[in-house]
Formats: sequence, C-alpha cells, structure tokens
Amino acid sequence: MVDENRLSAKILLVEDEESLASGLEFNLSEEGFKVDWAKDGRQAVDKFNKGEYDLIILDIMLPYQNGFEVAKQVRKKDPQIPILMLTAKTSVDDKVKGLELGADDYITKPFHLQELLLRVKGMLRRKNWYIKSIKQNPVYKIGDCEINFDNLKFRKGKVEFNLTHFEAILLKYLIENKGRVISRKELLENVWNMNPEVETRTVDIFISRLRKYFEDDPANPVYIKSIRSSGYIFEADDNI
Amino acid sequence: MRKRYSLAYNLAIFILAQIVWLALLGLWIYWYVSNYLIFEQVGEKVSPQIVIDTPDVFPFVGGIVLLVGLSFSMVLIFRNLNVQIRLTRLYDNFIANITHELKSPLSSIQLYLETLNTRNVPAEKQKEFISQMIKDTARLQKLISTILEISALESRKNKVNFEVYDSCEILNRLLKESAEQFRLKENTIGFKCLSSAKISIDINAFKMVIDNLIDNSIKYSTGELKINLIVKTSINKVEIHFSDNGVGISPEEQKNIFHKFYRIYDEDIPNVKGTGLGLYWVKEIIKNHRGKISVKSEGKGKGTTFIIELPVVKKPIKG
Repeated sequence: MVDENRLSAKILLVEDEESLASGLEFNLSEEGFKVDWAKDGRQAVDKFNKGEYDLIILDIMLPYQNGFEVAKQVRKKDPQIPILMLTAKTSVDDKVKGLELGADDYITKPFHLQELLLRVKGMLRRKNWYIKSIKQNPVYKIGDCEINFDNLKFRKGKVEFNLTHFEAILLKYLIENKGRVISRKELLENVWNMNPEVETRTVDIFISRLRKYFEDDPANPVYIKSIRSSGYIFEADDNI
Repeated sequence: MRKRYSLAYNLAIFILAQIVWLALLGLWIYWYVSNYLIFEQVGEKVSPQIVIDTPDVFPFVGGIVLLVGLSFSMVLIFRNLNVQIRLTRLYDNFIANITHELKSPLSSIQLYLETLNTRNVPAEKQKEFISQMIKDTARLQKLISTILEISALESRKNKVNFEVYDSCEILNRLLKESAEQFRLKENTIGFKCLSSAKISIDINAFKMVIDNLIDNSIKYSTGELKINLIVKTSINKVEIHFSDNGVGISPEEQKNIFHKFYRIYDEDIPNVKGTGLGLYWVKEIIKNHRGKISVKSEGKGKGTTFIIELPVVKKPIKG
C-alpha cells in the first residue's frame, strides 16, 4: 500500500529557502513522490488551484502570504488534503494557530529527515485508510448532527461547514472505537502516526475542536468525555 | 496577546489617572470655595468684629502647582513606557527574525548531512549539496558575527583604531574592496571625488558601514543595480553621498530605519532577510566618528541617498 502511495502521491512543497527546498525535493523524489515546489505564498495558492495534490508541506514564514494564510485558502477549497506545517517558530501559540487554521500536523526546524519522511508517509497512509473505511457508510449521525465522511460536510441544524481531513480521521477513529477509553498515545500513533512522546497537545486541540462542533456545551461534553489521566471516550447511540 | 493590548491598557490607565487628578482638583476647589463662603457667613453672624482677611491662597495655588507637577511627571512616565513597549515589540520581532535566520541554514545543513549519511547520492549531487552547505555556513557565520559585533559596539568593547586618511582615496579603496567582496559587476558602482580632505576614521568600522550600505542596496533593488558615491568637502566637514537606484524609502519609513531592530517590509521584494541591525549599526559607527548620517528618498521606486557627514581633520593627529 505504501509503495502504491509513493508512486501516485504528488506533494506540493512550499518553502522560500532554496537550499532547504532543493534538499527536500531530492529526498522526497528519492522516496518516489512527485514534488512541485512553490517558493512563496502567492505561488503556493496559484499552484494549488491549478494542480491536484495529495499532500502539502507548508513553511510558515513566506513572502507575500504566510503559511497560515495559505492554509486558510487551501482549506476553503479542499478540506481533505493533509497539510504538514514546517516551521522555525517554536512557540505553542504558533503551533496552535497552525492547527486551528487547518494544518494537520507540524514539524519544527531543524528536523530529522527520517522523522519528516515518516510523517509524510503516515499522513498519506491515514488518508488512504480513511478513503477505504468510509466507502460503505459515509454518513454518521451524532445527536442532531450529521457528518458526511465522504465530502467532510458537517451539519448541525441549519449550520453546515467542512471538517478538515484530520478532524474527520480522528472522529472516524473515535466512532470505530466507541465505548472504549482511548489514550492520547493511541490517538497520536494511529491517527497522526506520530511519536507519542512528542506532542500530546495536538490531540487535545483537535478534541476541543470536535467538541465545539457537536457538543451543546463543550465544557460539559456528552459525546467525547475526558477520562482523567487516561484519555478520551466516545459515547453515542448508533445512528447510522 | 497581553503585549498587543499593553499600549491601550497603559493609555487607559493614563487617561483615567488624569481624570482622577482633575476630579480631585475640582472637588478641592468646590470644597475650598463653599467652606470659605460658610466661614464668611458664620463669621459675620457669630463675631462680626473678627475681620476675615482675604483667603490664604498659598495652599490652593501650591496644590495646583503640585498637581500640575504630578500630571507632568505622569506624562513623562507614560512617554518613557511607550518607548519601552515599542522597543520590546521590535525586540520580539528581532528574536523571531533571528530564530528564523539561524534555523533555516541550520535545517538545511542538517538535511544535507543526513541525506549524505543515509542515501547513495551521485557524485555530482554530492558536490552540489556540499556547496549548498558551504553557503549556509557562511550565512550562519555572517549572522553570528553581526550579533557579536553589535553587542561589542554597544558596550564599546571593540577596539577603535582611528587613523587619518585622504577622504577620496580611502573611500575609493573601501568601495573597490566591497564591490569585489559582493562580486558586483564593474560598472555597478560609480565614484566621484569633488573635493578631498583629511578625515580620521577607524578603517575596519568604516568598511562595515560601506558593506552594510551596499548590502542594503543589493537587497532592496529589483532591476539592474547602480550605486553612486560622491565625496565633497565644505569648510569643516566631508560629505559622502551614497545613492542607489533601488526601491526607495517612503517618508514615514525614513524616520525609523536607523532604529534598532527596525525592518522595512516591501511588497515588491518580500523575501528580504535581515536582522534590523544593519543601519542601526551604521549610525552608531558614524556617531563614534563624531559624524552624522541622514537619508533622503523621493519615495518608492526612486532610489535612496544616504548622506554621511564627517569632521575634517585640520591638524595632523599625533599617535
């Protein structure tokens, strides 16, 4: 499956540092990916609008439009495409902002080549697993909310919007493991394919986003409950 | 977040404090006047023989003077605070820039080293990677020395070695050295000596001034770069006019460019890297030479001229 991914996957690499970009391009090409390089925010949006990509590697500090703005524009058009943010910024605020604007994961500079490649492959693998797993039952209902996992449309009453790719994957994973306590470690490993010792905060950010979407009172959740020092549990009546 | 609101927060406190002072003053006047009237009426009734003099205005006037003094000191504190906030903001910006500037070449070096270590890279590619790494280390080295030099300059720890030179001769020499260093084309720089005089300069520091100005011209130009340097002398000063045909500087930006950590963002050339220290550094060096630097630009797209004024050395300096 991985090899299949590598042959077909097309990556949009958005990085203004030429030396870093050409090193990344070489490595990603060696792994079998097709790489398209954009050196500023404007070019990134342009290329994204014209081409079809499976994943975006996005730097934050970019000329014309920064990575956050690019992520916002990309998300408007395609809620599913996995976005990996590449950043020299280490502040938690920046990471949170990136994730809130629709990035699915981030890696800080300087990074290890192997880690970056693992994340890229992991993100693509998740995407494939997701596409296969939603084929049979694309629509799921939680309370008065309806989620279409095919087009990522989320509807609550009259409100309708798109979930991001990783929001959907996380929700799908929670639904598939309904009634069982799932640790942050497990979520990080299976949803993000990440080393669980690194960033457990990522999980919390995504969980709080999901709660905001379908909980009436996100501070007192009914569906996604926190289990102290263990993780999360998803509880809902089946309503497919 | 807290920082973003700190100016509004301080401003609100300042305005509130002024309102409190004024209210106190009003209350005070009201109290003083009403009491004075009561005393006068009671005094007339109870013992009309007591002659009430005109009220003692000393505490009243003294109070007002004190209040004005307090208000004035608050204004001073507020102004000072404002400067500090601005500096902190610029400093945060500088840290963000410097982090980015340090991490980018470092990431690139790490990436190439790990690539060479884990893959079979063709010989041609290896060469390309190594030359890329050399470029990145040079970038790091330049950046680190900039930071170190600036702190030495600020603490006045760097050795100064002033010597007397002929203005045209030395500037022409420094320009040629810089042009070679920046690998500029032969006709990029024009030099004109209108009249020469003796100036006392620290040649290493002055080389940095020229390097910084040229570096800026290169960074902030879009077409083919042209730099012109004119040296002229009046009675007691040497004027060096350094002009380029770059993107120019708007009048608002001209006030700020010599400030520490200040950086210009230009839509046309958004990818300019820097620390915001170069021109601050230039200004400090010129100040150490008992000179002045100013900037002129007719606006965006019309180039920039820096004018450096240095005192003429009239007598030969001993030692």
